[in-house]
Amino acid sequence: MVEYALRRALYGVLVIFMVTVFVFLALRAVPGDAVRIQLADAPGVTEEQIAERTAALGLDQPVLTQLFHFLGGAITGDFGASFSDGSSVGGLIADRLPVTGQLGLMALAIGVVLGVVIGMASAVRPNGLLDQSLRLVSVSGLSVPSFWLGLLLVTYLAVYAGWSPPLIYQGPAENLGGNLAQMTLPALALGAAAMASIARMLRSSLLEVLQSDHLRTVRARGAGRGTTLFKHATRNSLLPVFTVLGLQAGGILGGTVILESIFGIPGMGSLTFEAVQMRDYPVVLGCVIVYGAVFVVVNIVVDLMYGVIDPRVRYR
Amino acid sequence: MTDRSVPSSAASLAAQTTVPGTVRRPAGRALWRFVREQPFAAAALAVIVVLVLLSVLAPLITPFGPTEQNRSAIQQPPGGRFLMGTDDLGRDVFTRVLYGARTSMLVSVVTVVAGGAVGVAIGIVSGYFGGRWADSLFQRIMDTLMAIPGLVLLLFIAALLGPSIRNSIIALSLLVIPAVNRVARAEMLRIREEPYVDAARANGCGLPRILIRHGLPNLFAPLMVIASLLFAGVLIAESALSYLGVGTPPPTASWGRMLSEGTKFLEIAPWMVVFPGGALTLAVLAFNLLGDGLRDFLDPKHRR
Repeated sequence: MVEYALRRALYGVLVIFMVTVFVFLALRAVPGDAVRIQLADAPGVTEEQIAERTAALGLDQPVLTQLFHFLGGAITGDFGASFSDGSSVGGLIADRLPVTGQLGLMALAIGVVLGVVIGMASAVRPNGLLDQSLRLVSVSGLSVPSFWLGLLLVTYLAVYAGWSPPLIYQGPAENLGGNLAQMTLPALALGAAAMASIARMLRSSLLEVLQSDHLRTVRARGAGRGTTLFKHATRNSLLPVFTVLGLQAGGILGGTVILESIFGIPGMGSLTFEAVQMRDYPVVLGCVIVYGAVFVVVNIVVDLMYGVIDPRVRYR
Repeated sequence: MTDRSVPSSAASLAAQTTVPGTVRRPAGRALWRFVREQPFAAAALAVIVVLVLLSVLAPLITPFGPTEQNRSAIQQPPGGRFLMGTDDLGRDVFTRVLYGARTSMLVSVVTVVAGGAVGVAIGIVSGYFGGRWADSLFQRIMDTLMAIPGLVLLLFIAALLGPSIRNSIIALSLLVIPAVNRVARAEMLRIREEPYVDAARANGCGLPRILIRHGLPNLFAPLMVIASLLFAGVLIAESALSYLGVGTPPPTASWGRMLSEGTKFLEIAPWMVVFPGGALTLAVLAFNLLGDGLRDFLDPKHRR
């Protein structure tokens, strides 16, 4: 177990390293000079100023030198300085990451709770009316684009309930109510896909487990439908659900880019989006790498959780 | 899986004209069996066909042009002359939804086909050499692409290349390639152990021939399933890109772009957002249902 965890962590570090190299080289491979694009709008820029700025940013060095320089900084969390205002990219990300963390965890929690409830309710009477309608709900949840769902939620709440989420962000420490009022709708929209795939996976996994020998024994001993389902079947069905969780984490993380922009939440997503619009390459670089790192870590944690849920899982 | 008739080596040498590894059956009967066994997926297929027809025949269906502005009818609610209302420039939303379907479908088809082809190529070569250096090299690259959350990778690549339909296709392909590679590689790892591959090798078949004539036909079924599900994902991703302003450039009608234009007018003209989003959801739902149905239809293990 420990050895597996170490090996997994080591490969994770390698993948994050490869992501860093890939993102860095992709930025450099694109035609167009970052400094020129940056300064193009400023009136009366001379060639000397461009050369000066390029040298100051180290962009006149060979690409490999730049790469090693960047990697050296990245290891200590130093991703350089933002083009637009010179603030530290690492600092920007450190400010924004907790906000996105909260949003992502809320989305995940909504997805897991609703998904498990729907999945179990579906499995009580397979192909019954409840099951059929819940399956329709889940396949729709899987198909609705999260940003459209977010927009619809805002519109209909505003039109029919006369309520709109606040647009000024407040931290959970200063105003928990206001914070949750703003975060709940995007979390719901983001969690819908996770909810749907967890419900589907749990349903089919439950149905399989319910047909197994040991559950026949449980039923033969006189256990009711509820005991069978809740006490004996669910735990055995959770493993595939965890696999889905790891996959859905990618969707939730990616979705923050768009939903944070819609709901005016100052997290990693809106930071990334703004940086992309302003062509603030150091910030873009740092954001993509941190997103990748978070995703890699989530997947390692999910893999390690298998063993906690199901002791029969042997790590190789 | 599909039926895997083992091509005898003699037959595969003699019958060069037909593809070994497949049994030709009338397509009509297979379709009929599909309709009976998977009614939901069949209905989804019908919806897809209708959507494609509507978008192809758009100029015959609607009297308006996709960028035609009716200055006298700005943000008209649905009904009357304008089935789905008009937008802030007086353009007919129904017309733009139809033309948007063209954009979305075109981008998705090209992405799934091109990205799928690259993914299959990488996957089958990797799978055939499973565990050796070529496999390791390819899979490390795929792991790198998959380590970045989809939309973040898309935004990054699309922003680097600039907003255009061609560039969206390139960016979206980077999501399709690793997913297809994964399926193709897993299947090829299994196929390379099959006796018919040994037989082909013993007969002196070269690598390309083994991969294309003996590998490809046998991973056709899982590829159809993943292609359908990926199509759904690409439709959403393409709209997300256009929504963020780095996908299809204006004034071309695209569902994502329509959604972002409508966001400003959510409370006064909700139809600007409801209809393009509804069309997108319907298309995605149809491809998801089709993919699910195909999986159950082609893989007896999934049947319940």
